[in-house]
Amino acid sequence: MKRTTLLCLAIGALMAAPLYAAPIELGASVQLTGSLANTGRYYRDAYQFAVDKINSAGGVKVGGAHEKLSLKILDNQSDVNLSVRQYVQLVTQDKVNFLLGPFASDFALADSAISEKYNIPMIQGGGASDQIFSRGYKYVFGTLSAASDYFQSTIDAIQKLNPAPRSVALLYADDAFDVSVADGTRKLLAKTSLKVAVDQRYSSKASDFSSLLSVIKSRNVDAILVAGHETEILNFIRQAKSLDVNPMLYSFTVGVPSADFRAALGRDAEYAFGMTAWLPSKALKDDYFGDAEQFAGEYQKRFGYEPDYHAASAVADVEAFVKAIEAANSLDAAKVRDAIARLDFDSLYGRIHFNSNGQIGLAQTVVQIQKGKLVAVYGQKGFIEKPLYPMPAWGRR
Amino acid sequence: MKLAQQLALAAIGVAALATVPWWGSAVLIQFGINALILATLAQSWNIIGGYTGYPSFGNSVFYGLGGYGTAIAMVQFHLPFAAGLALGAMLAVLFAFLLGLPVLRLRGHYFAIATLGLAEVMAAIVSNLEIAGRNVGLVLPLLKGDALFFELSLGLLALTTLVVAWISRSRFGFGLVAIRENEEAAAVMGINTTLYKVLAFALCSVFTALAGGIHTYWITYLDPDSAFDISLNVKMIIMAVFGGAGTVFGPVLGAFLLSAISEVLASRITSMASLFFGLVIVAAIVFMPRGFADLIRRFREVGWRYFQENVKAHRL
Amino acid sequence: MQLLWQVLVNGVLLGGLYALMALGLALIWGVLNIVNLAHGALIMLGAYVCYYLFTGFGWDPFAALPVAMLVLFCLGYLLQRYLLNLVIRAPMFNTLLITFGLEVVITYLAQIAFSADFRTINPSYAGANFPLFGATVPVVRILAFGVALALTVALWLLLVRTRIGRAIRATAQNLVAARLYGVDPRRLYALTFGLGAALAGAAGSLYGVVSQINPYIGAGLTAKSFAIAIIGGLENPLYVLVGGLFLGIAEALTALYIGPTYTDVVSFGILVLVLIVRPTGLLGRTA
Repeated sequence: MKRTTLLCLAIGALMAAPLYAAPIELGASVQLTGSLANTGRYYRDAYQFAVDKINSAGGVKVGGAHEKLSLKILDNQSDVNLSVRQYVQLVTQDKVNFLLGPFASDFALADSAISEKYNIPMIQGGGASDQIFSRGYKYVFGTLSAASDYFQSTIDAIQKLNPAPRSVALLYADDAFDVSVADGTRKLLAKTSLKVAVDQRYSSKASDFSSLLSVIKSRNVDAILVAGHETEILNFIRQAKSLDVNPMLYSFTVGVPSADFRAALGRDAEYAFGMTAWLPSKALKDDYFGDAEQFAGEYQKRFGYEPDYHAASAVADVEAFVKAIEAANSLDAAKVRDAIARLDFDSLYGRIHFNSNGQIGLAQTVVQIQKGKLVAVYGQKGFIEKPLYPMPAWGRR
Repeated sequence: MKLAQQLALAAIGVAALATVPWWGSAVLIQFGINALILATLAQSWNIIGGYTGYPSFGNSVFYGLGGYGTAIAMVQFHLPFAAGLALGAMLAVLFAFLLGLPVLRLRGHYFAIATLGLAEVMAAIVSNLEIAGRNVGLVLPLLKGDALFFELSLGLLALTTLVVAWISRSRFGFGLVAIRENEEAAAVMGINTTLYKVLAFALCSVFTALAGGIHTYWITYLDPDSAFDISLNVKMIIMAVFGGAGTVFGPVLGAFLLSAISEVLASRITSMASLFFGLVIVAAIVFMPRGFADLIRRFREVGWRYFQENVKAHRL
Repeated sequence: MQLLWQVLVNGVLLGGLYALMALGLALIWGVLNIVNLAHGALIMLGAYVCYYLFTGFGWDPFAALPVAMLVLFCLGYLLQRYLLNLVIRAPMFNTLLITFGLEVVITYLAQIAFSADFRTINPSYAGANFPLFGATVPVVRILAFGVALALTVALWLLLVRTRIGRAIRATAQNLVAARLYGVDPRRLYALTFGLGAALAGAAGSLYGVVSQINPYIGAGLTAKSFAIAIIGGLENPLYVLVGGLFLGIAEALTALYIGPTYTDVVSFGILVLVLIVRPTGLLGRTA
């Protein structure tokens, strides 16, 4: 009697198996611990948020059925070598269907070699450096705009300010992304009448900018452009205050759009310019989240902190896969890869369309911290809000 | 077991491992390459650290030079892989001779810190060299097919172990051990301590550099931080010590064991891996500082009291 | 000329803080012959103690500094007494390895406890500055410099003038003889390590005001501290002060005249040179 029951149960289980089809698995190795964990968490949370939202909307429509998405995230402890090994593991052992990217250009640069090696598409929203996309790889796509264009809108805006700045200082960290930014920015500056008074590379591990700031102060530079990481920019601003360095404006590639950066600086963050390819505006409509403003609100409620362009970019990556799978109507890697290359749709992050190198082309909006809030001041069509310029001296705030 | 018997067993083991690329899963092969390279690093450190008693924290320089030699040759000059490996090894040996001479005059802690300083200096210098891609690093051409890397790593480990086995039986090796036990006495007995030390340093530089070159080509990417990584240096020391520094097979055993445990943890509880690593180091140094090889040997005689004895012998 | 003066001022002020960072390491190394690779992690913990007192209770960081020192003293004492004392007679590089393991564990636990977010200790006077013959001197930096100087002199006085200090130095020179005179080495070693950790805690608190804190700053600070301790000389806290000032100025000048990416080349290059040429440090007595 017992044996027959067992047998029936077994047969029943076996028959039920096809009803529970394996979900479509997306794999990623993200910085959950280590020095880059502060930004890495945006990716972990955003990927999960997107997957949950898409699943609750019915999942992915492929082959006549609705499949769910599942996510496998590994912690690379902010170590590039470990990240590379983890991507190999995701592909060969966990056998994920597709890959999502890590944060940071040097990681994306190394990890995309794996997606290329195993012919599995990777969409990453964390690496913008030109090197990633100039190798002729077919299987890596990026939702961050080219690093060399980061300061384009800022430089356009600077030239329209009154009184116009005459000299500019360009400081950049020595990692893949920031070197790319500097190379591109140098070319952009050459086309203007701005005099480049300081052009200095600094070490990514640096925490002391005293010498650089002293040089900038002694040359009375009007505008400072800094391409670096959040931690360095934080130090830079605080040391600028304590050394009484008063440019007419300063602009940073990262940090300004992030809420915890502004919180860490408090009132010292005022007047700082930055850039972002994304703002939580109602105008950015999305099939799953409604619009960017709604997304930002729900994200904040669920995770306890405001999302920035890293999170939006990550969500776009997941949505891009869904759209591509549906367009290709298949889970075959090569077919999905081709579908990704042909994508063109609107999402909460903006228009998702990759150029022939695999990189997206979204313009940066110039933003400024005004009275504690992030304000969009200059976009593709000109000034949006009036910038607070020139920056008052530290002693007079 | 006599050395000859051990070597014969090892040869069988190598032959068996050589077949792995044919039947192993991709993940096993990947794990294997990592473990083999780490074992080579631990084994070459064994020469200067285990046999000669000079704890080098600068082996990561040789590793980095091997990696950069390979990368620069292949990326900047479009030379084949073998040429790159040769360049890397040559750079490492040059470095071992040029800087080994002054640095090997130091003892104990000072030697360790000097080699640590050298590693930091090299990382800082390379991050300023245009030819090395500065701090951005270099991306190597992609080679699909891990079997080649597996066999290369296996071959390198076998070669390194053979050399260490030869050292353990040769006059050169006895000289090194004499230096380790009492350098003044060794000098008095007529051993040219400077020559022996520098030779040992140069020997370990060759194998470390080759390992670095292979690993770099496999990973297809190199930057100063990963090339001259101090924690990699500490890892190779831990593996050698854990397995048994100054023995022929200790470092290999230690490397395989620790790699296996670490890999299992990294794929299951990813964030705990580093905590585990730290705790293992602390526990191993307290309870089994002479390594696994010694543990196996003495456990049969002494049993569980082995751990207690270690603590008693070394505590204040 | 003005610029050079400013850069020199920057270098000296930074050098003072550097010296304090290295002081604890030099003490532990010189007396216990323990090379503490977890030193930077202790600095990091001190910084966090100060940070939480500042943000949680509103204490001024310079008032919180003694508390940080006390907390780190206790931690250091316990570490030495119950862990490091167990391996102290083993081959010397075992302590190197075990402190490395400790560094990994402490960093991991810190990251779990405090999260990877970077923190800053930002008192109201953080940006204040005053002019000095044409150079701008940040108030927090000169305060930090003052504290570093005071602690260095205090340590020197402790080692030279007090009974405890003499006991520490005696133990460093000859353990057997010291034992014969009634010194209990277990407690003394623990005390010394605690003292070194307390100094690290002070350095951390100041570092948190001058720079920013996250769980991973330890490793870099340890490396820097080594360079400073060796360059100055392990024998005497005042030598470490000189080492710190020397390195601070050297780095500032390098950044100005050669380039900011070369500071590590200079710092560690000098370390290696000093070790090769004069291992006892610029000021230490040659053996």
